[in-house]
Amino acid sequence: METFNKPQQRRSRLHSNEASVAYICLIPAILGLIFLTYLPLLGVLGISMTNWTGLKKPEFIGFSNYITLFTTDPYMKDSILATLYFAFLSVAGSMIYSLFIAMLLNRKIPARGFFRAVFYVPFVLPAAAIYVGWSWLYEANFGFFNYLLSEIGLNKVLFIADSNYVVPSLSLISVWLSGNLIVIFLAGLQNVPSVYHEAAEMDGANGWNRFRHITLPCMTPIIFYNLLLSLIANLQVVTPALALTNGGPGNSSRFMTYLMYDQAFVNYKLGYACATTFIVFAILAAFTAVLFKTSKRWIYSEGDDDK
Amino acid sequence: MSDAAYSRFKSKKRSERTINALTLLIVIVFALIVLFPIWWIFRTSLMTNPEIYQYPPALLPKNWLFSNYEKTMQIFKFWKYLWNTMIIIVPSCLGGTFTATLCGYAFARLRFRGKQLIWSLCVGSMLLPAMVTLIPLYIGWTRGLGLQDSYLPLILPYFCGGGAFNIFLIRQFILSIPRELDQAATIDGAGYFRILFSIIMPAIKPAMIVVAMFIFIGLWNDLLQQMIYINSSDKYTIALGITNFKGQLKQDWSMTMAATCLSFAPGVIFYLIGQKYFVEGITLTGLKN
Repeated sequence: METFNKPQQRRSRLHSNEASVAYICLIPAILGLIFLTYLPLLGVLGISMTNWTGLKKPEFIGFSNYITLFTTDPYMKDSILATLYFAFLSVAGSMIYSLFIAMLLNRKIPARGFFRAVFYVPFVLPAAAIYVGWSWLYEANFGFFNYLLSEIGLNKVLFIADSNYVVPSLSLISVWLSGNLIVIFLAGLQNVPSVYHEAAEMDGANGWNRFRHITLPCMTPIIFYNLLLSLIANLQVVTPALALTNGGPGNSSRFMTYLMYDQAFVNYKLGYACATTFIVFAILAAFTAVLFKTSKRWIYSEGDDDK
Repeated sequence: MSDAAYSRFKSKKRSERTINALTLLIVIVFALIVLFPIWWIFRTSLMTNPEIYQYPPALLPKNWLFSNYEKTMQIFKFWKYLWNTMIIIVPSCLGGTFTATLCGYAFARLRFRGKQLIWSLCVGSMLLPAMVTLIPLYIGWTRGLGLQDSYLPLILPYFCGGGAFNIFLIRQFILSIPRELDQAATIDGAGYFRILFSIIMPAIKPAMIVVAMFIFIGLWNDLLQQMIYINSSDKYTIALGITNFKGQLKQDWSMTMAATCLSFAPGVIFYLIGQKYFVEGITLTGLKN
């Protein structure tokens, strides 16, 4: 009996040692998950039901912040529309641009590494400085883009000072910044098995057909990843409004995260801002859920053919 | 090979060469377009203000006025801002990478109760957008812990695992290392921490560099959090400095652009040094998912 038990005991001691090492390793993450993620999430919900301004004691007011936001708030509707408009242009633009560049870079050209580095450069510049720098290119009288327009005989445009052009102008910057997507796409393209292309070429498929029926299906998992990445990032857009436009002109660039910032840190309506946050969270979650739901239908994975 | 087939082969080779040449041409054009805004900003920073307003604008400055930078640095305290930014970034990168490695190791290698639950909470938090927790965290740091006008609210979160995404990355990377390596070490009597430090860590160095780099980029690009936590101007980071500078000097474009270029410089230098890891790292994330 004794001899039979001994190894087991030793193993369990080893086991508990293993577990305690694991818990020690995980202390930081567990603290983070509790205090920096899940409690604050509950906090948002809780504070959003109060009229807290940071000065007086908060009072519970139920859903009235949400009701105000959806009925009388002067900014909410414009803010949601501006964000969706910006996210749509930026996501569509960056996806097309970066897939296109990645496909070019995937061909046999000299100095490929150098060009890949060039397209990636905008991504490593500090965002705040980028917007300041671009504001000069968009300047109303002497900016470079207005020079171009006048060269081809068009009227000057105010770009970021014009409510019709501010969102597309900012989206262009965000497309310019999407160098990280190019690198991910390029890695994906290099993983498309070249036998498929060779086989299709043998059968006489032309370039477009090979793109449509080989490259695109093989790339769907990467496209999904990039789409998710860029959608979540662009729906949370805030830096251009903070660094450059202050939400203007009018409300045309009052993006949702900026609206939240404005309510919480300029006007000190913490309860109200938390209600806004929760709405933004719901919108983001809805988009993510839709993307995941539909992904099963269009993501190609090998071995799925039998089903 | 018959003559006809040979000439078809040759013409195919030739057409492929034309396509590649054309591709190179398009790539060069696009590369120039991408670099153009940076050049335009730089060229403006070396000009006098009358020169900037000239029509048509010149592609090159007449005299390269590097003295603009001296003038700018009298107002735009670049070295101070850079130092402040580094005070935030360096500990965050070290702490984030280290704690992410600890957690990734636990998830990849160790058996313990509640692993599944903690792991799913961790993955779940990846889908939680950062802006959602901003206000409660602000209240917690400033009201709860009294950390007003301090860098700690920006740094300390990175000591809590460095973000779920980074933990995920490290875990995936450790899983790809053969288990026989640590088993051999166990037989030799090495403990779990010993294995982590002397076997796992050297093997996952590329992944750790990638994590450090992601944390760097994240902080480098951030403006919102720095804006809400830092108030006094002698604590300004580069992002805050440049934003405020723009507000102060609305019309002096050459100085504003000089400040912009100064803010660009550290990122570009850092990138040139670590280019290999940058690209590898980004590639890694795309494929591991």
